[in-house]
Amino acid sequence: MIFTRFTDRSRKSVEAALGEARMLGHDSLGDEDLVLGILRADEGLAAEALTSLGVTLEGAREESEEMLADSLSSIGISLEEVRREAGDAFEMRIPEHRRIPLSPRAKKALVEARKEMRRLGDNYLGTEHVLLGILGNEDGTAVRMLVRLGVVPETLEERLFELRGRAAG
Amino acid sequence: MDEKTRTRVGGPEDPREGLEAVVALRRTLEALEAAQVENAFIAGWSWARIAEVLGVSKQAVHKKHAKRIRGRYPGESPRRKGRDQ
Repeated sequence: MIFTRFTDRSRKSVEAALGEARMLGHDSLGDEDLVLGILRADEGLAAEALTSLGVTLEGAREESEEMLADSLSSIGISLEEVRREAGDAFEMRIPEHRRIPLSPRAKKALVEARKEMRRLGDNYLGTEHVLLGILGNEDGTAVRMLVRLGVVPETLEERLFELRGRAAG
Repeated sequence: MDEKTRTRVGGPEDPREGLEAVVALRRTLEALEAAQVENAFIAGWSWARIAEVLGVSKQAVHKKHAKRIRGRYPGESPRRKGRDQ
């Protein structure tokens, strides 16, 4: 099972990611949603590292929405206009009864998280491993979202290890 | 196909950008459909009429939208007795 050895915190983060994906209309749970979930659950080293670099849940949500709007405008569609035309009923949120699967990228991030756990010799899978798993995919949406938010992935990784060292020491 | 033809016909030059636009459009389309079906429902349209204009079966529209919209407008339009429990 993909969640074996997950700590309560990292499990909570993934659950929160699902909520974020649903709210933002992501029909599959992307690696950027995993980051949003970490921020929403706001527990563990990953959230601490992100927050210390100025990343907020609100800011990340807005950036994710902005990325969708940018994609649409690259093919000449204005999300604002669609929204205006459709009226108040328009919302990106995915209805509760529709299942949201993990995207291949998110799945990969969680698989990589497990490898990070092993590599670091840990016997639990914490939010820091999840975040490292996410950062491993430079081409992913999460990394691009973080870069757009002014985060240098290497700096984030360093911060993560700093906090880890502090927690251990 | 040579490079030139492709960029002229294909829109964004970066394939990823092109593919991401598809994803963004799909997600937006879903939201737009949900909104317009809801708008029609509020305007008193039957599922059958909504389905007809969308060009799909009444069952398809009902299955996709009834639960959400009914949940949002409980007690509305009793004449539309449907398949949901």
